[in-house]
Formats: sequence, structure tokens, C-alpha cells
Amino acid sequence: MSAMTETLEASAETVPMSRARARRTDMRSRGEPALWSLGGALAIGILMILGFLVLVLSNGIATFVPKPLRVVTQTDGKVTAGEPFRSEVFKPVPQDVAQLSPEWQEKIKAANGYVDRTLYRLGNFDIYGEDFRWVPEFLVAKVEQPKNLLFIERSEWGPFIGTVKTFKVDGVDQAFSGLDDAKFTQVHEQSRERAQAIRKVERSDIGKVNRALDDGRLALRKIELKDGKDSAAYRAADTRFAAQNVELQRQYQALTEQVQKLREANAKNTLTLVEVGGREKTIDFSGLVRAYAANDLSLGQKIGVYFSRWAEFLVDEPREANTEGGVFPAIFGTAAMTLLMVLVVAPFGVITALYLREYAQQGRLVSFVRISVNNLAGVPSIVYGVFGLGFFAYVVGGSIDSVFFPERLPNPTFGTGGLLWSALTLALLTVPVVIVATEEALAAVPRSMREGSLACGASKWQTIKYIVLPRAMPGVMTGIILAMARGAGEVAPLMLVGVVKLAPQLPVDGTFPFVHLERSFMHLGFHIFDVGFQSRNAEAGKPMVFVTTVLLIALVAIVNATAIVVRSRLKKRFAGSQF
Amino acid sequence: MAPADTHAVTPPVGPAPKSARQRRSMKTAKSVIIADKVADWTIRIGGLGVIAAVFGIMLFLTVVVVPLFAGAGIEGSTVSEKAVAGGPALMDIVDEYKTVAVSVDETGQVHAIHIKSGVALEVAPVDLGLADGGKTLTAFARTPSGRDIAYGFSDGTLRLAAVKVGGAVINTADVPGDLKRLSDTDFTDGKSIYTGVSADQTRRVSIEVVLGSAQQVAPAGTAVVAADYRIAGEAERPTISFVTVDAEGVGRLSRSESKTNMLTGAVTTTLTSAELPGLPKGVKVRSVLMNNNGTQVYVFEAGGTVYRYNSLDFEKPELAETNSLLPSGVTIGAASFLIGEQSLVIAGSDGSVNVFFRLQDPATKNPDGYVLRRAHTLEAHKAAVVAMDMSQRGKMFVTADANGEVWLRHSTSEQVLLKLMPPAGQKPQYHAVTFAPRENGVLAVADDGKIYTWDVSAPHPETTLKTLFGKVWYEGYAEPTYTWQSSAATNAFEPKFSLVPLIFGTLKATLYSLLFAIPIALGAAIYTSEFVHHRVRAVVKPTMELMASLPSVVLGFIAALILAPIVETWIAAIFFAFLVIPLGLFFSAFLWQLLPGPIALRYGGLPKFLLIFISLLIFGYAAFLLAPAFEYVFFAGDLKAWANGAVGSSVPFTALLALPFVFMAVYFGGDNLVTQYLGHVLRGEDRTRAGLMELSRWGATLIISSVISYAIASVLVGLGLDPRGGVVDTYVQRNTLVVGFAMGFAVIPIIYTISEDALNTVPEHLRAASLACGATSWQTAVSVIVPTAMSGIFSAIMIGMGRAVGETMIVVMAAGNTPVMEWNIFNGLRALSANIAVELPEAVRDSTLYRMLFFAALTLFVITFVVNTFAEMVRQRFRKRTAQL
Repeated sequence: MSAMTETLEASAETVPMSRARARRTDMRSRGEPALWSLGGALAIGILMILGFLVLVLSNGIATFVPKPLRVVTQTDGKVTAGEPFRSEVFKPVPQDVAQLSPEWQEKIKAANGYVDRTLYRLGNFDIYGEDFRWVPEFLVAKVEQPKNLLFIERSEWGPFIGTVKTFKVDGVDQAFSGLDDAKFTQVHEQSRERAQAIRKVERSDIGKVNRALDDGRLALRKIELKDGKDSAAYRAADTRFAAQNVELQRQYQALTEQVQKLREANAKNTLTLVEVGGREKTIDFSGLVRAYAANDLSLGQKIGVYFSRWAEFLVDEPREANTEGGVFPAIFGTAAMTLLMVLVVAPFGVITALYLREYAQQGRLVSFVRISVNNLAGVPSIVYGVFGLGFFAYVVGGSIDSVFFPERLPNPTFGTGGLLWSALTLALLTVPVVIVATEEALAAVPRSMREGSLACGASKWQTIKYIVLPRAMPGVMTGIILAMARGAGEVAPLMLVGVVKLAPQLPVDGTFPFVHLERSFMHLGFHIFDVGFQSRNAEAGKPMVFVTTVLLIALVAIVNATAIVVRSRLKKRFAGSQF
Repeated sequence: MAPADTHAVTPPVGPAPKSARQRRSMKTAKSVIIADKVADWTIRIGGLGVIAAVFGIMLFLTVVVVPLFAGAGIEGSTVSEKAVAGGPALMDIVDEYKTVAVSVDETGQVHAIHIKSGVALEVAPVDLGLADGGKTLTAFARTPSGRDIAYGFSDGTLRLAAVKVGGAVINTADVPGDLKRLSDTDFTDGKSIYTGVSADQTRRVSIEVVLGSAQQVAPAGTAVVAADYRIAGEAERPTISFVTVDAEGVGRLSRSESKTNMLTGAVTTTLTSAELPGLPKGVKVRSVLMNNNGTQVYVFEAGGTVYRYNSLDFEKPELAETNSLLPSGVTIGAASFLIGEQSLVIAGSDGSVNVFFRLQDPATKNPDGYVLRRAHTLEAHKAAVVAMDMSQRGKMFVTADANGEVWLRHSTSEQVLLKLMPPAGQKPQYHAVTFAPRENGVLAVADDGKIYTWDVSAPHPETTLKTLFGKVWYEGYAEPTYTWQSSAATNAFEPKFSLVPLIFGTLKATLYSLLFAIPIALGAAIYTSEFVHHRVRAVVKPTMELMASLPSVVLGFIAALILAPIVETWIAAIFFAFLVIPLGLFFSAFLWQLLPGPIALRYGGLPKFLLIFISLLIFGYAAFLLAPAFEYVFFAGDLKAWANGAVGSSVPFTALLALPFVFMAVYFGGDNLVTQYLGHVLRGEDRTRAGLMELSRWGATLIISSVISYAIASVLVGLGLDPRGGVVDTYVQRNTLVVGFAMGFAVIPIIYTISEDALNTVPEHLRAASLACGATSWQTAVSVIVPTAMSGIFSAIMIGMGRAVGETMIVVMAAGNTPVMEWNIFNGLRALSANIAVELPEAVRDSTLYRMLFFAALTLFVITFVVNTFAEMVRQRFRKRTAQL
């Protein structure tokens, strides 16, 4: 349409002046200023989304890049060593400004009282008791980047910034020559392996013993509830339990001793670190996650550190109240919950759509139901969360507990938030999406195809199964995948029905019955909320939140992109069979 | 299994036989019919089930909410015919398990009765020394729990006593053998009640009275006529305070503190006493009350006058207030504190029941600055109120009247929860009434010794529709307010459930975010639909829609932790950008008009849009650079201090707010005046010169309207209209500006997509016709396309609003969550959704808070459902109409 006006106007320009006078359009009728503000609105919208993505991606992707370390000597003699975290301008208080040199006072005055300052991430929280320090520009006397300064990631207390003084192997002092020292790396690996072994024993072996103990106690309680305490069955079970208990206690003892031995071996390999101020800290080798000389890295080493951090992030468990380490349990929880949700939402959504479109008598009632179902997609997710907690967890879960798990009461099994209830809640939340998409797809299948099939003698179900559903498949799949994307990004309802800060066990593991639907789980979205808002130091958790954000956005984007690809491929597949 | 296998040779029933020669079976195979039937039923049941489940949400929420408004119920009542021996009761109490009722008669003797069976228990007689006739019992006092009592005598002495209602749990093995059965669970040996708790545990309830020694509190021979008594401090070293008034009308305040010597174990008790000054001579004191720490003492004269003493300085109490709480001619029927001992309930002989608060009042002449004010007037009894008892857990209390009715009330919600009637034909004269400690029973003793009991249940007495949506006068508040404060540290502080601040918060967040989102979304939609090439549109539209797939937790995180600090630092620049960017775009547009026609035409597509983009960036940067100057001119150099009202004048800012409106008025007003002339002139000029004239005209309009709006603003501010304290006030880091911006990410794509679709479905022939008639694209868009698509655009806005109302994570994270009720854009808010997310995980199942949060969820559900349905209906009408065009 705009092209048409253009040609019209263009011809208007070329006609002679005398005739043009009558036909020339008033400039104001083009509405140029208004047009520019409409365009401005669009530009702002695009700027918002692009700016947002750039902000999140740049921060998230850059987080794991090893940054140089600086040692700043202040004019007052204070020395700060750390990673420069961010810089900003600020307005220093007048009293501070008054004490500065005339040049600085002049400079600050020229900048309207503003001056730069840089936030340094200090590390060494166990020594300093602070994570970050602001250094105003006017206090800086000297900035150095010493090559021997190390960035040492520890499993406890966060990173350490300083140098290695000495290290001990089996209690014997060794001279430290560098991070690539053969002895150093070897001892480090050994200690890490032992730490892994300790973790494995504590987690799985001792966990198994504990579970056996617990199961025995619960079985006993079940018999007590069923037959009473005075029954013969109870007494027999009690003796059996006691005997089993003794055996389990013995096993437990043995395992603890094993752990103790490993611990003692590890305790002999220590590392003495020293920070810029000269204060020392001795840690076990096993507590050393990664160390690198931040100012002396080749590009290859940098890339190595970068990717090893990503690997740790993706496959490890969180440390330090979720602000360090990995997010594997959260990824796993998100995936498990979303898959479970799809298992529920896909059949029910499709069945409902089939009912509405193929079986129900089309009329006022059905169109009312259709509008309502459509509107349910717009009901706030938190409302579904409230329903999930009240109905699924308390009413349904409570009943399940009292029927199947009376021996565990008053501790709830299903009577509290968990994986199953979360998946069901989100299924309710997303079922309108699937219904609407499927219905549209079903409506798009030409009537002639149905009639043709029926005329050939196929039953209604055969028609649906062989003719209608395959043609509607692209729409159905899109609906399901969009539901997944919506489900994966929701957090608010999950906060009520089963997401936790830190889940001790994954919802799927090697113990019977393998999938533990009643367990609470971790979720990427909640992880963002938790680390960003409920950790000790929001600033320290921020980089981690950015990375998690990138991961979550990538996940949602991948799911969405899959929807587009699937739709186009399926469409192509059936394109030939259209009448 | 085996026979089935042998039959497997029958030809398979497939879609169609492969060979035509094969004899066709005309009968449909059983398996097909079965599959069809199974599918039929599965789909029908499944489909209906899912629809029912989805609608069940609303039903379930309602079911949880309903008990909030159900008031109270009677679960059973008994009249024990076997009377308590002795005269009319001074007081009665029940134990926590409602097993035993204890009553003190007018001679000071304590009686106990098993409630269910009416069997009296033996209680050792209390030796008050009245037998020799030397003195009589003239006053009686009790602590709120009724477990500690005091007797006052005609000889001026006071004796403290403790009624111990033991509730010890003992081993069943230790229970004595020959017990008399009282009910299904209860047994007695005549002195105690034994109740089986579990197989091996039994609860024993027995009554014992421990009497203290007599203390001389009034001159010997002067009777004590009224007393009150409180115990505070730790159990090991209690502080006992009591107040007495003697027959001469002299009030005394005493406190005894016990200290245990750590070395010797000896207990030393110190008694301090002070006389209450200022009581008129010969005043007929009816009763006296004091609060728990003894800092307030109320002396009631029978006619309803109260003398309030401030005894913060225990040794020097001062008369703080003399106030007549009842109309003349009415006497006090009963007076009592409510829990927390801040509110005073006065019931009159006319049946009236009023609740008074002691409130700070700057205008009062009372020496302590407080004054008693009537806060709640409750429904009056038809007869005089004779007895009253308060709950030990909340603000409920019971009142009994001369007609034998007992009413269960709640002070804050002003409602009468239950009217407990005596059995038909009876008109008991109650002397004492008691409310069970767990708020689950009411017991009244009549003067004939009969005991009337009711089992009641009032789980949510504090909520009525009025308390949820109206102003409520809470204890300690100067006036009725809308307050949401769901958690309370102790029973004495009642939780405050008013949904109004939360709904207000939701509306505030929605309004500000829509103010930001609607112009951008609609502008972008119109521009995308009408003014860009369809290939640009194919890129731009998905990009904008990408915004919708951002998880809201991410938006909330960015808003709260990244955006909020930036906005706080650059607040002036951001405010300035709201002014500079539109003006800058206008300015660029006028510059564009200076271009010769052919050039403007050739670059009218994507290059122009890129230019718009670039000028947006330029003017955004200009706003950033010029912000300090702007802050200096408009906000006296410091926006935050200015917003506080600390510095500067609000005229420039008011002028700024008025500018858009004034500009429109001047522009269109001036239009009519000069268009005739100017239009004539312009047509004669070539494009560049005409553009120049347009530009100068715009500049002139801007200057004129700025001057006019400054004048208007001066007048408005002179009249006392100041935006500060209204839309701008004290700056808080997590504020509505940030929320509005972050919510924009959630709302813009929705409004944009739906309205763009609506604009796009306007039939092409309308567009073509308009253009063919010589209208420009701008004229076509404004006068043909947008009006046609109006209903679609409207429904887009409604749906966007629905999203903003329910958005949770953004408001949880970025809004600060303070339930304030002000429009200040620089302050936070607490939205319904955020409130649910924050409080529900901590709420106890089926508690009032739990149900309140369900009510909040139901409110959200209904709001969004209604808004969306309305939008959907509008949209369908729009579709039908465009289809007809």
C-alpha cells in the first residue's frame, strides 16, 4: 500500500508547478512527526529486547572468563588485591573531598562532584570478612598486575587471591616452583580423588545404610499400626529389626572408619597460601578446586580455564549456598519436571481438543467452554500454584499419605510439595495452550478429508487416527512444545508446590522405585530467585545468576526453536498429501 | 491364550483388503467397533474431565475461602442440672480440655464440676477465716486467666490465692484402681478426673487452691471494696501488682517483688505501695482494673465514669484522665480488658457494648498525652449486660445479659458471631460467664448454681467482608485504616487482613506498567502494520515476540539487581529522556521534512526507520549528557531531595506534566486559526521552504505552550496542588518505575502482537480504497485502519492488562513488597500475586491467613477471568465485523 502512495506522490512531484499547486498534498497530512514517534516506539521496543539480550548474554558468557588480578596500593598505604568487578561514578562526601590534593579537588569539581570508583572482588572471605571493596580513583597510588599472583578457587570460603607459600605432601614440606610443578599436580589429583571417594561413601554407601535403617523402622511402625504393639507379629518384627539394626550399625561403623582414614590421608597434604598483606592460610589439597596465575595466562590456558568452569557449572553440584559450583541438580530438576508435565499435558490436552472439536455437539455451550478454556491461559500462574498446594499437595497428597504411608506420619510423604504435584500444577497451567493449538490444527483439517474417510467406511476413530490426527500433528506438536517452553520458564507456582533451595537428592536415582515423585527438587528459575535474592551477598551471587539466566533463556529458546523446526518439517511432510 | 492363537488365522481386518478377489466382509470387524467405542468413551470422559478439572480450580478456591465468612457454629450444648453448691458465682473458669468447670462462690469457696456429666468433684475448702464472723468477703479479683485470684475483706486485708487446675500427664499404670466412670473417656476417684490420652498415658485433672497470707492494704477496719491483681515477670521471681480501693474511696497501688538469694535460697519479698491521688471523696467505686505490667489503672465508678491513672512511675501514679464512658443514667454492667490489655470493653446496663482504645492525642490536655476513645460500637443486648469474659488468644469475648442470652463477639470486626440462647422456657440469671482457653467453649453459671455450657467453633472470627474491604480500626491505631499485616509476634497483636492495600498495589503496578507499555506497543504495532515493508515486518515482529518468551523470573532479577541501582543513579536522566526523546523525534521528523521530495521518497522505507533508530539513540544520549542541567533547573539539583519535598519548588515539574496537554491544546487550537492562511501559503512553497515554516511553527507552538503551562503550573501550585506527596514522593530503590519498566517486557509483546494482528486483518480493500481516494498512508492509518481495528486493539490492551495483574515474579523481586497505599511512583508496592508467593509457603493449613491467601488467589482469578472474557468477546465481535466488511 505504501508503495502505491509513493508512486502517486512521485508523479505529483514531476508535474509542472502550475498544475501541481492544486494537487500538492499538504505536508501535514503525511503526519511525519507522528510517524516518527510511532517508529520511535517500535525502535524502543526493539532496543529493549536487544539491549536485554545483549546485557544478559554478555554478562553470562563473560562470567567464566578468567579476569586479570590487580594489586592496588592506596595513597593511605592500604593494599587491595582482587578482580576488578565493575566501575561507576559516584559523588564522594564533601569531607573526603576536602582532604584531597588540590588537583583532585579541581578534577572532581570539574566533573560536577562525580568521580570514578572501582569495585574489587577480594576473595579471602575467611581472612577479610568482606567480599568486595570499593576503591575510589583518588585514593589509587599504584596499580600492578603481578604475574605470580594466583586466583585460587576453593571448595569452602570462596576464592583466595594470593600466592602459594609452601605445600606439604604426607606431612613433608615441599618447595613450590609453580602451578605446573609435577608433584603439585599429582598431589592435587590424588587429594581430589580421595575427596571424591569420601563423597561417594558418604553419599551413596552411608546413605544406603541410613535408608535401610529408616526402612526397617518404618516397616516396624507399619506393623505396629496394623497389629498393635502387643501382637506376635510386632514382637517378631521387633527382634528382626533389632538384629538387622546391629548389622547395619556395624556397616555404618566400618564406612565411617573408611572415611576417617581417607580424611586423615588428605589432611597430610596441605597447602599454605599467603595473601598480599602477608597473612597466611593453610588448606587441604582436597579443598583446592582450581588455581591459575591470572596475569600470566596464555590464550590457550584462558580458554582451558573458561571451559573447565563451564563444565563444572553444568555437571557439578552447587557449593557455598548455591553461589558457586554447578547447577546440575537444577538442570536435572527442571528437565524432569518439564518432561513429567508433558507426559500429562499432551494426552489430556489432545483428548480434550478432540472432544471439543470432533465429539461434542457444536453449540452455545461448547463455544462458551472454548472461550473459557482460552481465557484460562490468561489466569495468573500463581493462582494455579495456590490450587496445586491446596488441592494436590494437601487434599490429594494428604489422603495418599493417610492410606499408603501412615507409618511416616506426621512427616508428610506426598502431603507436601513435590515433583509430581509441580508437574500436575504446571500441566493444568499449560493445558489450555495445548487445547487451543490442537483445536486450531483440527479445525484446519479440511472437512472433505473426514467425509472421504467416512465414506470409505472407516469408523470415526479410524478417521481420527489415520486421517485427522496426522494432518493436525504439526499444530499439536507446536502446542505441546510451546507448553513446555511456558512450563520451563514458570517459577511462581513452583515456589508453592515443591521447588526448594537445595534438594539433598535428585528425583531420579538408583534406589527403588527409581523415580521419586514425592521428592522436592531444584529448578533453574528458582535458583535465579534464590541466589539473586536470598543469598548472603547478592553481589557475589550475581555472576552465577547471570550464567543461570543465560542457561534458562537458552533452554526456553531451544524449546521454542524446536517448535518452529518441528512445525515446518511436519508441515513439509504432509504438504504433498493435501487435497 | 491358546485358543486365541488358533483363531489368529482369520484374515486381518485392515483398512482395505489388498486383493479385490478376496471376498469382502461386509461386516465391520469387532476390533474396529471396540476401538471406536473405547476411543469414543475415553475422549468423552477425558475431555469432560479436563474441562471439569479446569473449572474445578475456581470451585476449590471458593470452598477453601467460604469458611472465612461462615462466622461461628455451635457444636453442642449442655445444661447440667446438678448445680454447683453455694451462692451466686463470682467467677468461673474451665480448663483447656473443657473437662472441669471451676467456680468461686460469694463466700470465696471453690467448687469444681465435671462438665459432661455434671458430677461435682471434691475440692478442699478454702479457709478464709470467715467462720468467726470477724470479717466478710467484700472484694474479689482475678487475673485474666482466672488462675490467680485475690480476696478482699471487710477488715482491710487482701489474700492472694492460686487456683491450680492441674493437667498432668501420668503413666496409665499409676492410675488408681477403683474409678467411677463419668463418660466414655473420663473417670474419677472423686477428687480428680482421669482421661486416657493414649494407650499408656493418662491425663489427670485435679483442682487445688493455694492460699497466701493476709496483707493489710487498707486501714484496719476499712473494707476493701474493689481490687485487681496481676502477675508479671518470670515464674521464679514474679512481680505481683495489685490495686485496691477501700470503703473510704482511697485507692492504693501495691507491688511486691520476690527475689531469691542465689547463695542462701531465701526469698525476700519487697512491697512498695502508693496511694492513687485525686479520687473524689465518697465516690462509689464499682470495680478497678489494671494492666499486666501495672502501668495503667482504671477505677470505675458505677455510673460509668472512669478514672484512669498513669502509673508508669509506680511510686507516683498520676490521675491521667477522668472520662464518662456511658450516657447518664446507665450503669456499668461489666468492664474488662481484651487480650493485650490495650482495649477496654464496657458493657452497660442498657445492653450496650463498646470498645475503647487508649490513644495518643496531641490535642488532649491529659498529662500523659493519651485519651480514651470509643473505637467500636457493637450490637447491643436487649437487656442489661451482667457478665463478660474475654478470650485468652484473640479479640473475641462473650457477654451475658439479664435475659439469659450469651453472645459471642469479636471486637475488631464488630460482629456478633453467635447468640447462645438458654433452653426454651428458662431464663437463667448468670453471674459469671467464661470463654474456654482454646476459644472452643462457653460456660455460664446461673444464680441457682446450674451450669450452662456450649461447645462452639469460631475459627475465623476476625474476617467479614467489611474487614476485608473496608477501613478497620485496629487496636493501637489512631483511626480506621486499610492495613495488611498478616504476621503477629504474639496473640496480643492481632493480624490485620485488609485486601485493599494489596489490590491497590496490583492496580498501581498495572496502571504504571500500562502507561509505559501501551504507547510503545500500540505505536510499534501501527508502525509495523502500516509503514514498513512486509519483509522488515517478518523480522521485526518475531523479534518483538521474543520478548514474551523471557521467563519473568529473569525479568525480575534484571529489574531488581541491575536496573534498580542504575535507575537510582540516573533517575534524572531517565526522567529527562521521557521529555527529550519524543521532542527529539519530532524535531528529527521536521528536519526530515526539509529534505527534497524525491530523496525523502527514495529513502522513505528502511533507511528512514534506521534514521529513527539512530535519532532515538542520539537523543537518548543527549538526555544522559544534559541530565545534570535538567536536574538543576527542574529539581533544584537533587531529584531525590526534591521529591522528598526538602528542596526546590514544584512549579517546573508541574509545568512539565501539563506540557503535553497544553501543547495539544495550543497545536490544535492554533491549527484552526492559522491553517487557512498557512495552508494557502504552504501550498505555494517548495518542499524545503514549507518544511522550514512547519519547523518554525512547531518551535513557536512549543515555546508558547511551555510558557502557558508554566503559568498554569504556577497557578496550580499556588492553589496548593503539588505533585509531590502524590505521584512523586520519597525515593525507594525498588520502586514502581522499575516495576513498570520490567513489566513492560511482559506486557508490550502481548499488546503488540494482538493489536498488530487486528490491524493486519483489516481488509485490504479498505486500505486500497482510501489510498485511491488520495489519502496519504498516515491519513489512511489514522482515519480508516485504526478506527476499524479499534475493538481488536482494545481487547489487546485488556489482555495485556490481565497479564500485568497476575504477574508475580517481577513484582516479588522488584517492587519492594511494602503494603503502602500511595500513588508515589518512587515507592514500591505489594501486589496480590506477590503477597501470595511470599506468604503462602509459611501459612499454616486452614488458618485464617491460609484462607485469606486463597481469597486473594480467587480475587486474581476472577479479575483476570472477567477481563479476559470481556476482551475475548470484544475480539470475536471485531472478527465478525471485519469479516462482513
